[in-house]
Amino acid sequence: MKLKKITSFLCAAAMAAGMLLGNGTAVMAEEKAVSCQELGTPLADVRVRQALAYAIDLDAIVDSLFDGKAEKAISFTAPGDWLNAELPVYSYDPEKAKELLKEADWPSDYTLDVVYYYDDQQTVDLMTIIGQYWSEVGVKAQFRKLEGDLAAQLWVAPEDKENGPSAVKWDLAYAAVAALTESEFYNRFASTATNNSSVPLQEGLDELIAASNSTMDTDEQKEAFKQIQAYVAENELAMPLYHQVCFIYNSDDLDMAGSKVGNDQFSYEKNILDWNINREDKTLYTNGGPQEFFWYPMVNPGYMINTELIFDKLINADSSLNPTEGMLAESYSVSEDSLSIEFVLRDGLTWHDGEPLTAEDVKFTIELMLKTPGANAVATEVVQAITGAQDYLDGKSEDLAGVVVDGNKVTVQFDKIAANALQVFSQWPILPKHCLENADPATLQQDQFWQKPIGSGPFMVDEVVLNNYATLKRWDGYYKQGSGNIEKIYMFASGENDANLVKNASAGKIDYAWSKSTDDAKAIEELENMNVEVANIRYTRCFYINQFPHEANIK
Amino acid sequence: MTNYVIRKILSLIPMMLVLSFLIYLGIELMPGDAVDFLIPPDALSTMSETQLNEMRESLGLNDPFMVRYVKWLGGVLHGDFGYSLQSGVPVATLMKNHLPATIELTVTALIFSSIFGILFGVISALKKGSILDQMLSVVGMIGVAIPQFLLGLICINAFALHLNLLPVGGRMASMDQNFFERLPYLIMPALVLGFSLTSGVMRYARGSMLDSMGKDYMKTARAKGIPEWRLNLLHGLRAALTPVVVLIGFRLPMLIGGAVVIEEVFQWPGIGALFVDSVRAQNTPLVMMIGFFSVLLVLISSIIVDIVTAALDPRIKLS
Repeated sequence: MKLKKITSFLCAAAMAAGMLLGNGTAVMAEEKAVSCQELGTPLADVRVRQALAYAIDLDAIVDSLFDGKAEKAISFTAPGDWLNAELPVYSYDPEKAKELLKEADWPSDYTLDVVYYYDDQQTVDLMTIIGQYWSEVGVKAQFRKLEGDLAAQLWVAPEDKENGPSAVKWDLAYAAVAALTESEFYNRFASTATNNSSVPLQEGLDELIAASNSTMDTDEQKEAFKQIQAYVAENELAMPLYHQVCFIYNSDDLDMAGSKVGNDQFSYEKNILDWNINREDKTLYTNGGPQEFFWYPMVNPGYMINTELIFDKLINADSSLNPTEGMLAESYSVSEDSLSIEFVLRDGLTWHDGEPLTAEDVKFTIELMLKTPGANAVATEVVQAITGAQDYLDGKSEDLAGVVVDGNKVTVQFDKIAANALQVFSQWPILPKHCLENADPATLQQDQFWQKPIGSGPFMVDEVVLNNYATLKRWDGYYKQGSGNIEKIYMFASGENDANLVKNASAGKIDYAWSKSTDDAKAIEELENMNVEVANIRYTRCFYINQFPHEANIK
Repeated sequence: MTNYVIRKILSLIPMMLVLSFLIYLGIELMPGDAVDFLIPPDALSTMSETQLNEMRESLGLNDPFMVRYVKWLGGVLHGDFGYSLQSGVPVATLMKNHLPATIELTVTALIFSSIFGILFGVISALKKGSILDQMLSVVGMIGVAIPQFLLGLICINAFALHLNLLPVGGRMASMDQNFFERLPYLIMPALVLGFSLTSGVMRYARGSMLDSMGKDYMKTARAKGIPEWRLNLLHGLRAALTPVVVLIGFRLPMLIGGAVVIEEVFQWPGIGALFVDSVRAQNTPLVMMIGFFSVLLVLISSIIVDIVTAALDPRIKLS
């Protein structure tokens, strides 16, 4: 097995070298020691993975299925500063795909088992189209939607991270990553990642990933991620398909005071206190009101707009999600060795119910985040790096030693550099200890607090009629006052996918909203009183390719 | 009749037990559990097996099936209907919050459809073959054939978006509004729901009325010189109502979960949408409670139908 791995790696390395030489196509190693069938799975052969990518015309898919309202992906990383411009591109080339499959001795009787978990029609259409492209180059595939315990079916790493066998049954899994930071895309390719069910230990990749996680310097991070992108792309360890965009809708009645739009899946400074609404009742209409509860922010801090209006963070973020000035923290500073951050809270902060907001609330929130299962991976990674985190989790200490409170000063000490610490403190809000100290972290979302939460943000919860609407009202006690006139925010109850968004916008009852639905965007574009803006986001749809040895699931 | 009702009510107990077990079993047989729905699929990849197990333990999902069922049943017998696995809100509170909206909508639609369905059905039968009859028949066919969501969208487009007469959806604009201020929100969903129900009742009433009008006792009564209006109203309609009452009676369970489509289209915060969500999310306590009420209502409707039928038809004796 070891020999096979080495052979496979050499094969991949030869191809990667060919690409780096700059001729734009992979140069195949002259000597082919093994066929793809001998590697435990045909997908362990990089030529097969590349052939599958070459076989798909993503430009046509983006144009037809998404009406051009998505972007073809050449990497998990979206276009921009963080993307390596030198990456190999697997443009549609069915002849090249056939050639590679032939060289790899692709077993024509093999049927790929392709799984997905989304239940929307667009996914079904996409799978059908991709199946057709593959069949045109002689690759059979069956697509099935997973039901039930998805984690157990998708993300179980094998015991032997180098040789497998695979702990999952599928060949390819269609999934998506909505990432706050680049590390969310690439950490899962490390052999140590508990959710790496598809990529065996790769020579040198763990080290590249470790390097990307060991600096808070943005330039150094960019450089590290560009190397990882090259490694992943050259070896086609996974197959990025397209980047979804975020559509932001605003009405002609709304003056956003020049605020930049950004990734509304997360939290960023919108300066909403400066916004003006041209309605007599000074009410801004939006969606994302609670259906059964207000979403807790542990997983998706910007999932609903109300989260960032009700709660404040320690640090603010700009529309590119880069940490900026302090929010609850009047100031903050990172130590020279990047192993501690000191926050100084503003004086006189209070919660919406009048209780004082203190440094103890900050410490409580960090401890709660550490104990909450299912909290966002980036946030979890950062809080787990805090000194004493494991002892606190194991119950060996009563509090988190690495978070030290001194008056209105909070110092967070890390055992190792937490590259994304500032991003985390600019996204995850501080929660009130006096309301949640008796909550069970394992079932935090089920706590009654989330029926009508108390925060410290610029707007406070007023009326709540679950599954119908909720209103927020401007809070006089906020630490700053803007120049805008919005006194009330009316939120129609909805999930992330709001079936009533277009209808409400048509009726003039949406002033601000966002979605990732191209159908919504197309319909709202047609409305006279509405504007649609597009924000580039880190949300990449892809195929994970199971390269661990496993028996064919479809026989 | 009192004995009959008591016996019927007592017979509900074993039926409810069996049915509750079957519903619980049905949820159990679905793949996955509530935790799979509490964590967004894209986020699942970042959770360890231990964390997921911790959540299952906290929600009591790790117990064997029978233990969970008996615990649930024990709770219900003590008046504790449990908590929603999604929101942690007591099931009783959720029912209290959502049921009034559904009842408001469906009772209005049911009254509307019963009155107009019977009225138009009888008129149609009395004017059999006339243009009016044919027009009502066409309208009835449309009512039965047109999907509720389509009619709902057409109405929203016409009355809310173009004519701007009624709100596009929801149940109220503010908690301070009284019933009459909320009425504009009710009109469209109730009429759309009522329209499709009316068509069914109308077609049934027409057929039934025509059937009773051809009976011998009607000819005899007519021969005795009873005025036509009285003949139709007292003799014809009374006999014709029996099957119509059965139809309306068996629509009572709709009060719990039958208006799902209308609730979705009109953003009506009723129990139908809640039921669908809770089934999808395998929110067992909530599904059990809504299912339980639904079954209870079916059984109670059956008793009511028996009683009303006996009252309308002297040949039927409850025993």
